[in-house]
Amino acid sequence: MTINTLSQDGVQRQQMPCLTKMERMIISMQDPDMGIKLRNQRLLITVIPHAMTGADIVEWLIKKLTISDEAAHIGQFLVKYGYIYPLKEPRNLILKADESAYRFQTPYYWMSTRWPASELDYAIYLAKKNIRKQGELIEYEKECYNALHKRINHTWDFVVMQAREQLRASKQRRKADRIVLECQEQAFWLVNRPPPGTLDIMNYGPERRTMNTRVQLNAEFYKKEIEHNRMSLARNRVKSSICLESYVKYCEQYQPHDPIMQGCLPSNPWITDDVLFWNMNSEAVTVPTKLRVERWSFSFTELLDDPMGRKEFLIYLEKEFSAENLCFWQACEDVRHGESSKIPEKVDEVYKQFLAPGASRWVNIDSKTMEKTLEGLKRPHRFVLDDAQMHIYFLMKKDSFPRYLKSDLYKSLLARAIVPQETKKSVFPFMRRQRHSSPSPALVTHTTEDDGKAKNSNSVKSNSGTASRL
Amino acid sequence: MGKDECKTMLDALNKVTACYRHLVTALGSTSDSQNLREELKKTRKKAQELAVANRTKLTALLKDKSISKDDRAEYERLWVLFTSSMELLEVDMKRSLEIGQDFPLKVPTRHLIQTGMTGSTTTVAARAMSVQNMKYEADANIDTVDLRELETEIAQVDQMMEEMEMKVQVAPWAVEAKQEAGAELKSTVSVGNSSVGVISICEEEPKETVEGENGTMKIFAGIIFTAVLLIAGILGYLVINL
Repeated sequence: MTINTLSQDGVQRQQMPCLTKMERMIISMQDPDMGIKLRNQRLLITVIPHAMTGADIVEWLIKKLTISDEAAHIGQFLVKYGYIYPLKEPRNLILKADESAYRFQTPYYWMSTRWPASELDYAIYLAKKNIRKQGELIEYEKECYNALHKRINHTWDFVVMQAREQLRASKQRRKADRIVLECQEQAFWLVNRPPPGTLDIMNYGPERRTMNTRVQLNAEFYKKEIEHNRMSLARNRVKSSICLESYVKYCEQYQPHDPIMQGCLPSNPWITDDVLFWNMNSEAVTVPTKLRVERWSFSFTELLDDPMGRKEFLIYLEKEFSAENLCFWQACEDVRHGESSKIPEKVDEVYKQFLAPGASRWVNIDSKTMEKTLEGLKRPHRFVLDDAQMHIYFLMKKDSFPRYLKSDLYKSLLARAIVPQETKKSVFPFMRRQRHSSPSPALVTHTTEDDGKAKNSNSVKSNSGTASRL
Repeated sequence: MGKDECKTMLDALNKVTACYRHLVTALGSTSDSQNLREELKKTRKKAQELAVANRTKLTALLKDKSISKDDRAEYERLWVLFTSSMELLEVDMKRSLEIGQDFPLKVPTRHLIQTGMTGSTTTVAARAMSVQNMKYEADANIDTVDLRELETEIAQVDQMMEEMEMKVQVAPWAVEAKQEAGAELKSTVSVGNSSVGVISICEEEPKETVEGENGTMKIFAGIIFTAVLLIAGILGYLVINL
């Protein structure tokens, strides 16, 4: 009962196209006439052939591909994907276009997406290294070793047996070959199981099936393309000059309300640890702040978003005898955002209260929408009351909302609203508690570089001036 | 005893698997040759024989209902060893087919990868086949003929593994290995010592300690030897002159 990791979804994996290209390039480097110039590598006593310098590689690439700047870059790919490995600093997988030595990797250890390196192989490699180094593995290798021991514990005996046997098999070769074998295997695992913190070249995210699924260029495909392009053409486009204008207007309107740009009175709780600001702007406060009340006049959504605004608006509507609109709207919101299980009963309630003919708080919806809604009520779902809600919303927005803004109720509230005082630190009378204890980015541009306390207090004074203007 | 027989057969299969992997790593490189292809073929056939023998033995043992629980656990462990071995063999066979197809030998210009390995793999193959010397008797076009055989053999192995999965109900994750982490260090010292003798130039700080140790030992021995010779010569001279 082994899990076959070789094929995914029954489809044989393909070698990534870029890897096939790199392989072809490596093979063409082996050409006896046109290939790369190889030298011998001299270690104390042994001489190992088939080494090349980085400069040779880059030169060959320039000549073969008739490029100049990209040669180093392509050479880097060859090293990073493990087709060529460095001899002096094996952990540093980069191509240096100088005298540093490199060697080719044997085809078995080439990077392959068809046969990815498996955990069992890695465990065997670490066990071999453990034996060779008498237990002196590098930190991350030790961790991997322990993790693998836990994960594939059931085959651990096999790992040990196979590691020993592989070492015995390699002892049969002569010394030069043994050295090369070790270097090759090490280079392979440095590419396939990179040390933590180094680039993992095969980290390319979830596998895409584009290699195997080919798009059929038939009539169906072209019809879909045409439809898609037609819809894109019909999209509503706005000239950037126009939308930028409205964007600037929006920013200007909201700037005094932004705590970062303008600072907030009495003080920013995040900086001064004084929660007065939040307390003054809470839902159930008797006297709201001026900024808050002003904000309600920006748009109907602002009014409805603020719970206090909603309450005030309800009071006004009650005077006008159209409170049922707002109640209906609120009930619809509740249906939309509430629990799924309660939807049928809520919808039923709404129908009984607002939509049924002769209901106590009957809302005025046009006949078409009413028919559609009643039809949908037979199978209630979350969005069944959407059309009716939208109708009432626009009704309120066009009709009641502008009148509310002109009403005495609103105007008196605006007059009553307070502008909170900046909190002053009473300990040192000449040291004011800054509204922005850390200079906000917007103000840094206003104040000059040499900011003594005087400059800061000046800016504060000017700001408090603007605040009182509001 | 069935268990010991199984263990020896598994050890043999393990050895052949390791040697086969070693030979496949040499494919396509400069140590590739007709001989290597023949060695691969022979090793592969031996591996398959051993695999079939192991499988029949182990399935017979596991099908036997009248064995004790400990025995059964032991056989399951051996079964897991066997399947892991077969996994490695299967992958290596498929890879050798792929690489063998990419690097044919009977072409006018061979493009074998120059990896720095120039020695032959005869000794490894001899170890796999448990013979003293390898005899090479294949034809010149072994590389192409062998590949076709290899394809059929791969299909056979695939089929065998599927049958194994169907017939034998062993849960591999339930098996507990006997060796703990680091068990390989406590084993036969011979493996450790002789391979430490390789200069590990692959590391950043070239460790020439062992080689250096051997060198200093030799120098030391040489010094002592010459000193003894000198003393003997001086004494002899004195004896003769006196």
